[in-house]
Amino acid sequence: MGVSAWIMFLLGAAGLWGGLAYFLWHHIKAEKQVQQEGQS
Amino acid sequence: MEQRERWASKAGFILAAVGSAIGLGNIWRYPYVVYENGGGAFLIPYFVALLTAGIPILLLEYVIGHKYKASPPFGFRKIRRGAEWIGWWQVIVAFFVITYYMAILGWALSYTYYSFGTQWGEDTEGFFFNHYLSISEGFWGFGGIQWKVLIPFVIVWAVTYWIMQRGVSRGIEVANKILMPVLIAMMIIITIRGVTLPGAAEGLNVLFTPDFGALADPKVWVQAYGHVFFSLSIAFAIMITYSSYLPDKTDLTNSGLIAGLANSGFEFMAAIGVFATLGFLAAVQGVAVEEVATAGVGLAFVVFPQVINAFPFWNSLFGVLFFGSLLFAGFTSAISILEPVVAAVREKFHLSRKSAVNWVCGFAFLVGLLYTTSGGLRYLDVVDHFTNQYGIVLGGLLEVILVAWIAGKLGEYREHANRISYVRLGGWWNICLRWITPVLLTCMLLMTLLNEFSKPYEDYPYSGLLAFGWSVLGIILIGALYFTRLRQEGGNA
Repeated sequence: MGVSAWIMFLLGAAGLWGGLAYFLWHHIKAEKQVQQEGQS
Repeated sequence: MEQRERWASKAGFILAAVGSAIGLGNIWRYPYVVYENGGGAFLIPYFVALLTAGIPILLLEYVIGHKYKASPPFGFRKIRRGAEWIGWWQVIVAFFVITYYMAILGWALSYTYYSFGTQWGEDTEGFFFNHYLSISEGFWGFGGIQWKVLIPFVIVWAVTYWIMQRGVSRGIEVANKILMPVLIAMMIIITIRGVTLPGAAEGLNVLFTPDFGALADPKVWVQAYGHVFFSLSIAFAIMITYSSYLPDKTDLTNSGLIAGLANSGFEFMAAIGVFATLGFLAAVQGVAVEEVATAGVGLAFVVFPQVINAFPFWNSLFGVLFFGSLLFAGFTSAISILEPVVAAVREKFHLSRKSAVNWVCGFAFLVGLLYTTSGGLRYLDVVDHFTNQYGIVLGGLLEVILVAWIAGKLGEYREHANRISYVRLGGWWNICLRWITPVLLTCMLLMTLLNEFSKPYEDYPYSGLLAFGWSVLGIILIGALYFTRLRQEGGNA
């Protein structure tokens, strides 16, 4: 694979998979917070 | 009156929304769209389209469903009296889509079976069109029902019917919780196997090497907006219905972003898997990747069986994984396409879920029998073209015009989303929905119309396009107006 192809692949992967991971992490954090509030 | 059904968990809703968005198009359409429209450079208009139209419309539909707790026709009526028909338009479009979508699922089921021992042989094109579909000569050659197509069609309908009868949390949610992880695991295996094949690097090179000159072509941008629009299951009543089953306290924005990015992340992975295996096929056949690259039915049922034939070992396993992933991706989308129709019929006629499912599935099954005939592929192609290019696009355009321009509710909806969501929507959301989306959807519609009148779609006869294309749009419009005028059972008009 050429350098330009690698760069576009990395940009796509970072934007899409990275973005998904970030919002999933937010979701999990918020769920835990809700559970902790429910217990206290 | 029965209490409105609810998702058992937020994760269940997100998985169902992702399952709805991830469909056949993610696997067989997106890779080719990227390749044809500038390769890696296409990611730029794709990201812009996702952020300025795809996710904003998705969030709008989440808010409408969540705020009004109603199926699309009644949600739109609550936005503005007289707008109920827009909801029915979207619901009837969904009905026509499900009639042919189940036929394609039947093909995927058949090919999962044919994968055992690669039963399609060496001539994969002849096997699909002549042996399996027994395609007839001429557009009007119905040729009778083909049992090889009918049997899997009945099986996928039976399973779908059973899931729909079980309801939202026990049927749709459970199905998605089982099928989605399996689908993602299967696609990961396909991708890993794909990139480790000889020739895969050349396939990926063709896919990702950017042609930035393509970005100057407006058609590439329209393709990006079009793909994002069709890929996210927006504008045909699904997301409004799904979000109407959410509890009051739900982070709508975060759920929308997860669903949107999961759908895009999945198709990005599918593109890698598909082009890596196409690179392998090209290397085996000694031709350029461009010569084997294709999309849609041709990619799935003609080219992929060739890829599977060429595998050094475990051919059948790879076939089962590929066609199984098509089947599962399509299956979770199919139940989501049926749900808004069931919900709307239920609300209009005050039916039990069981009765509504019986009516909707029964009627859709009967209409779908048309696609099991020898001429079925052609009729399916025309109905698909017209319901997608006009039905869904027009449904989306009417929706944004109603909310942003006629009712002027964008500010109120933004407040609603921000009140319950961690990620806050800014003024950009209003700009996207008030200006960018309507302009782009109008451009898409005009370009399709221009193409339509310059050359008949796929060179089909005008009589066929009139019978299965324009007439279907007419039926959708008449049906939408008829259901709107019909007095609601036990309620007001």
